[in-house]
Amino acid sequence: MTDLPFKRSAPEVADVLVIGAGASGSVAVKELAENGFSVVCLEQGDWTPPSTFVGDKPEWELQRQKTWHPNPNVRSGPSDYPVDTSDSDVNPLMYSAVGGSTILYAAHWCRFAPSDFRVRSLDGVADDWPFDYAELQPYYERMDRAVGTSGLGDDPAYPPGAGFPLPPLPIGKFGRKAAEGMDKLGWHWWPGPNSIASRTHGDRSPCVRYGACLTGCPQGAKASTDLTHWPQALAAGAVLVTGARVKEITVDAKGLATGAVYVDRTGVERHQKAGVVILAANGVGTARLLQLSRSQAHPDGLANSSGLVGKRLMMHPYGAVVGTYEDDLESWIGPSGQAIQSMQFYETDESRGFVRGAKWNVMPTGGPLGMRAGYGGRPVKESWGANFHRNVKANMGRSFEWGIIAEDLPDEANRVVLDPTLTDSDGIAAPKIVYKSSENTSKLIDFHIARAVEAHEAAGAVSTSITRLMRDCGWHLLGTARMGDDAATSVVDQWGRAHDVPNLYVIDGSIFVTSSGVNPTATIMALALRCVEHLIAERRNQAVAG
Amino acid sequence: MTAPEALSDAERLLYGQLADVLIPEAEGMPSATRAQVHTRWVDDALRARPDLLAGLRQSLGLASGHPAEEAVELINRDHSTVFDALGTVTAGAYFLNPEVKQLIGYPGQLPQPVVDDVESYLDLLGNVVERGPIYREAPGAAAASPRP
Repeated sequence: MTDLPFKRSAPEVADVLVIGAGASGSVAVKELAENGFSVVCLEQGDWTPPSTFVGDKPEWELQRQKTWHPNPNVRSGPSDYPVDTSDSDVNPLMYSAVGGSTILYAAHWCRFAPSDFRVRSLDGVADDWPFDYAELQPYYERMDRAVGTSGLGDDPAYPPGAGFPLPPLPIGKFGRKAAEGMDKLGWHWWPGPNSIASRTHGDRSPCVRYGACLTGCPQGAKASTDLTHWPQALAAGAVLVTGARVKEITVDAKGLATGAVYVDRTGVERHQKAGVVILAANGVGTARLLQLSRSQAHPDGLANSSGLVGKRLMMHPYGAVVGTYEDDLESWIGPSGQAIQSMQFYETDESRGFVRGAKWNVMPTGGPLGMRAGYGGRPVKESWGANFHRNVKANMGRSFEWGIIAEDLPDEANRVVLDPTLTDSDGIAAPKIVYKSSENTSKLIDFHIARAVEAHEAAGAVSTSITRLMRDCGWHLLGTARMGDDAATSVVDQWGRAHDVPNLYVIDGSIFVTSSGVNPTATIMALALRCVEHLIAERRNQAVAG
Repeated sequence: MTAPEALSDAERLLYGQLADVLIPEAEGMPSATRAQVHTRWVDDALRARPDLLAGLRQSLGLASGHPAEEAVELINRDHSTVFDALGTVTAGAYFLNPEVKQLIGYPGQLPQPVVDDVESYLDLLGNVVERGPIYREAPGAAAASPRP
């Protein structure tokens, strides 16, 4: 697929340059273009139309372990940059494309709880956000409508508000089984909200339950922003440059951003000028770019007078308990997606010996090959031979996962830095991740794993299998350019504007103050909308390079 | 998908011996060779995953001259990356065979309409609603971040 018929030449100087065409960048480009701004977006990846996905093909399970793997180091695609993870407990996951990581995300569409905005006030750790849940709630509701969220309203884990625009997706036999266990224990559960269309929504087709959401939706039912935002953005006049790998944000003598230098597909270095620059390249890519933009005037990287660029990386350590049942639960049937979720242990209870909590989600387990992904390194007779058949027959369609999204608290030692030797295919320094789980996180995961085992047992599981910390779980890249009111303790203000560079904005998950214990895409996009609407409203007061 | 370089007849013969150690006839299921893993489905698997061909060939090189069972044990013990490739391509090829899928009750990822099953769980959900709100109220005003 090409950018045609919307292919336009970029203006010499755009009103706004957006770097990254993923969850947050898509929101910004669409809003700005529809409000009359000339907008150029630089995206290192390309289009991935639904016809390219393999979830409806027999080879799906083989290709998901390589071509469509969420870890860029495994995928090693032409648009990917490598990430040094040798000092990290968790691998960061991402996808470079129009739509960014929404192409491969599971579409769990969750809001923060009110307590997530007040962690310091309530629990005495980390920091409060500059605003509260009530401030973001209207943006959540508008984004629900924009992406077409399917769900059931009135969940008692959240304050009252508008319902979902589409009815919930089916929870299936395995969702029902999980709910029965939670009911026996008197624990909270609710049909999972998903940004997957349960009915036709605008141009989007309804879900047909392939269960292959994590490798791109062949049906086009999942709300990836190449489908939900880009058609309108391009129709409104935005210019999208794919295959554009940004290497530096440029600034003038007054310290104002003037644009960005990027390498195009032919290897030619180009400079796109703009009055305002918006970074939307995720919690790793944005921190990398700010550090790549160091100069004599900014020796520690751009917008980094606080010293916090790249620091406080949060990635949501993920634990899982798979339960196996006697009944055929048809647990390969989608969406995937979450069937049900639980917020039972989400809020702090100090008697547990740790603060904060986690959302749980029930997901299908896919086909027979994916179920074997964790069998490496075991004795041959344990995993192969007659046991190969016994394991497949015991688990195929009869197991499902309770996944646990653990809130990790910000820690300046967890960080993104530039790797001294590793580079991408254009010779640009690659990021290195330094990340260790804290003692609080370890206690939190142990507690939640034990409760998830109980949930499976209450539901009648005949056996359970524990993954305490999944290494390939770093979907949520947060916190590396945190927002705040004080320039000494934050990188950007509550509108995403850099304290040090008044025409440079960051609007992706980098600006999160804390991580919450839920999937963050709904918050990333609601927050991006709030930031860009403020920029539009304040356009007459916006400083731009001369 | 890129077509892989075809395996020779000799390679297929040796590969079939290794594949049958991993997936023998048992529990009412056919062996790898009876399921045509080495003669047919391995080609489809390698078309989907051409990156596995090198590991598969390495495993054949390591197995040459050894009894198949001993070779598989050796590769698993001393060459984990090669064993991963051998195991993935073999299991992946086996599950591509429609007869195997039918025997394990897995139809593949097939389209089916979304059904509304809310009525089927409203009884359980009513209990959740009856217990009332579980979110924690939070103060409107933010506390300042501690200064460094």
